[in-house]
Amino acid sequence: MTGSNRLAFARALVATNLKAALALRGAFVLQVAFMALNNFTFFVFWWVLMRRVTTLRGWRLADVQLLFGLVAVSIGATVTVAGGVRHLGRLIEEGDLDTLLTQPRSVLVYALGMRSQPSGLGDLLSGLIFIAASGEVAWSALPLLLVALLASAVVFLACGIAFFSLSFWLGNVETLARQLWEFLITFSLYPEPLFGGVLRFVLFTVLPAGFVAYLPVRVVQAPSVPLVGLLVLGASAYLGFAVLMFERGLRRYASGSRFSTFG
Amino acid sequence: MAKYAAFSRVAVARAGRERGDLYGRVAFFAVILGVFSSLWRAAAEAGLCVAIEPRALVWYLAVTEWIVLSAPQVHLDIQEAIRAGDVVYRLGRPVSYVGAEVAAAFGVLAVRLPLLGLTACVCAFAFTGWIPPARAFAMAVPFGLVAAALLAALHVWIGLLAFWLHDVSPVYWVCQKLMFVLGGLMLPLAIYPGVIQRIAGYTPFPALLAGPASFMLANGGATPAALARDLAIWCGVTAVGLGWTFRRAATELTINGG
Repeated sequence: MTGSNRLAFARALVATNLKAALALRGAFVLQVAFMALNNFTFFVFWWVLMRRVTTLRGWRLADVQLLFGLVAVSIGATVTVAGGVRHLGRLIEEGDLDTLLTQPRSVLVYALGMRSQPSGLGDLLSGLIFIAASGEVAWSALPLLLVALLASAVVFLACGIAFFSLSFWLGNVETLARQLWEFLITFSLYPEPLFGGVLRFVLFTVLPAGFVAYLPVRVVQAPSVPLVGLLVLGASAYLGFAVLMFERGLRRYASGSRFSTFG
Repeated sequence: MAKYAAFSRVAVARAGRERGDLYGRVAFFAVILGVFSSLWRAAAEAGLCVAIEPRALVWYLAVTEWIVLSAPQVHLDIQEAIRAGDVVYRLGRPVSYVGAEVAAAFGVLAVRLPLLGLTACVCAFAFTGWIPPARAFAMAVPFGLVAAALLAALHVWIGLLAFWLHDVSPVYWVCQKLMFVLGGLMLPLAIYPGVIQRIAGYTPFPALLAGPASFMLANGGATPAALARDLAIWCGVTAVGLGWTFRRAATELTINGG
């Protein structure tokens, strides 16, 4: 299956998921609105805190807003386009990949795209508002912002694939994988200078909040060729590793003897 | 009461078996306290102009998160039972449906509260190197236990709304967000603008979180008598709300079917 075929297939899956979500229009709107509200409410904390201190180790409220916006868009894009990533562990553990293996399509792309979370659009929407309100992105910096957002989302997705693919080797790791995913989000939402020492190393390797949040923010605020190169290289490496891990794991996959089909 | 104790015992056994969930909560708790201890250190360096010590703020958060993380998300189980129609079979039992759900929620609390309480103390001490005076614990722990029980009962009430709503998650989210802002989950209410403090006073959220946690602060806002009164009032309101909501739901089920 070629790259363009995979893209066309992924596009078709996203379109189908969106149509399905829009069929329950009320629930869809509610989920989008509440997720956006959720993000704005969380930001009240920063608003209250930053009224008391002007900067936190060099970070101003606008910087935190940009960080929040970038991470929200990244998460929103991931769970909207590839919402199946959160179910990957269960699919592997319960042998539900059987029905996907019989399809003439990429198993990973199918598994990722077979679900979409409407709440992700709430993240996307609120994230864009945060970025716009931060006042830190000039129109001329939009291409860079797009690169930063794309790289951030790719790393986030790659981590999801890697965490949930642990099921191939360790069996039921649903709780652990979800916890790692939550930790990644948690660390991504706080300013980089808060973390030092060994934790900082962890945040640029095992739990790459550095690539999901801190580097993209730096790329938008103070772009340079090495920084952009590092971000793109990092995102490609994480995605490559995650896909490789899934493919390797798939060789160990034990069938669940499922005879049903999707779609 | 023996019947309800049996529901609690079953819930205790089930919660004890779900070790992954328990350890996940412990790990999440430790991470949150670590992040915030670092945040408060940075805020203190930046000259945070509030009359509260950063280390006391970490202990404050330890208590609020202890209450929130201990309360089981029982609304999801109730929603599932209503959606699947299982609730009809449970209604036929010679026990109150709401009573059984509340008892089961208390059973989960009995497992989580000690473990997460220990986590709170160990982590908060590790991150701050300080322990609040014994009087603070003597106040915060009993009030925290009551607050966690009240929060679990509120979750049961949210679950009962599934008799009318397709999905109760949005109600739960709203409740969470209100708790975040009006309950002072991460920051004592005294730090919030006056208008938010006034609005919070009309809701149960300060009694649930900020009240018990404020004993960890040197100049905490709550007095034991006022907090006991507020908790008693909101427990009463919740009990009446639970009974009324369930009666309405049962009547509709009788008239319209499940």
